[in-house]
Amino acid sequence: MKKVLIIEDDNFLQDLEAAKIKKSNYDVIVAKTGEEGMSMIMEPGIDIIILDLLLPNFDGFDILKKIRETETIKKIPVIVFSNLSETKDIDKAISLGATEVMVKSNFSLEELIEHINSTLA
Amino acid sequence: MEEIERLKNENEELKKMNENRSDLISISAHQLRTSLSALKWTFKMLLNKELGEINEEQNKYLSQALISNEKTIKLVNDLLTLNHSDDTSIAFNFKQINIVELMNQVILEFQGEINNKKIDLSFIKEDIRIPNINGDEEMIIVVFQNLIENAIKYSQVNGDITILFDHDELTDNIKISVHDQGIGINKDDQIKIFNKFFRAPNAVEKEIIGSGLGLFTTKSIVERHNGKIWFESSKEEGTTFFVVLPIA
Repeated sequence: MKKVLIIEDDNFLQDLEAAKIKKSNYDVIVAKTGEEGMSMIMEPGIDIIILDLLLPNFDGFDILKKIRETETIKKIPVIVFSNLSETKDIDKAISLGATEVMVKSNFSLEELIEHINSTLA
Repeated sequence: MEEIERLKNENEELKKMNENRSDLISISAHQLRTSLSALKWTFKMLLNKELGEINEEQNKYLSQALISNEKTIKLVNDLLTLNHSDDTSIAFNFKQINIVELMNQVILEFQGEINNKKIDLSFIKEDIRIPNINGDEEMIIVVFQNLIENAIKYSQVNGDITILFDHDELTDNIKISVHDQGIGINKDDQIKIFNKFFRAPNAVEKEIIGSGLGLFTTKSIVERHNGKIWFESSKEEGTTFFVVLPIA
């Protein structure tokens, strides 16, 4: 079973995302703060990361930068899943190596699953 | 000298206030979207019966709630675009842009909706090369998105949409037209069509989701490019929007 790390600080969104991804036959682990995210990205066996941008302590950009700079995990696909949609934020995420940027409110969770499936295909 | 200094300070103060307003809108939009995402996903989960069976009445109310939520998401998205396009303190990123490529990109984006409604869309560029224009790519995409989205939304199934690009060498302008065979804009509503938050009653009836900010934003962007926008519409022949953009 492929492993998905969700880094999301909103409890309710995190529950909904995790429940849906689990139902789609993925193993799910969740980080609730930037700090937790920073340490959990180092866990072995993660196949894909769903990353929010506005997080307490370290933000999603810091985490993305760390992922791409760390030899052992730099190839893990990262879907930035945030409600920030300004061009400067999207450009920054892409330039830091996001595999894809999705604005949460514009997508359903079914669509998120489709993107996870196609990224891991 | 003192007067110039005072005006400079006032100008700085106003810029600062505008920046604060913009930041406030951005942050509020982010918070609103968080709640709206949660509602959207929950309604969908319930409607998909992932949490158990629902009866017909529950289905009806949940579907209405989902539509209402989508309307608010659209409103937030449009307000954010408007915040960018209407705020003259936010500089547009003017550069040479290929508008033919941008239009092709936007058409591709709407391909799903075009196929669903079995619309026959033609993009005609005459037999001439359309020169690049000096514009803000992101904002011109918004103009094209709004025009194409409206043309699709208000078209009937199996309708035709025709997009025409032409280069007027005499004035050195590009004239763009988007014609649909849709429901048209009633005579009484035509004067209000570019007003903020206005939606014509026949448009609301045809397509419930809409903020009434699309054409207002489109006009504001076109005017910031020193361009012009207008339309011709009748119930029998549908609507054509025209946009003229200067090349330089």
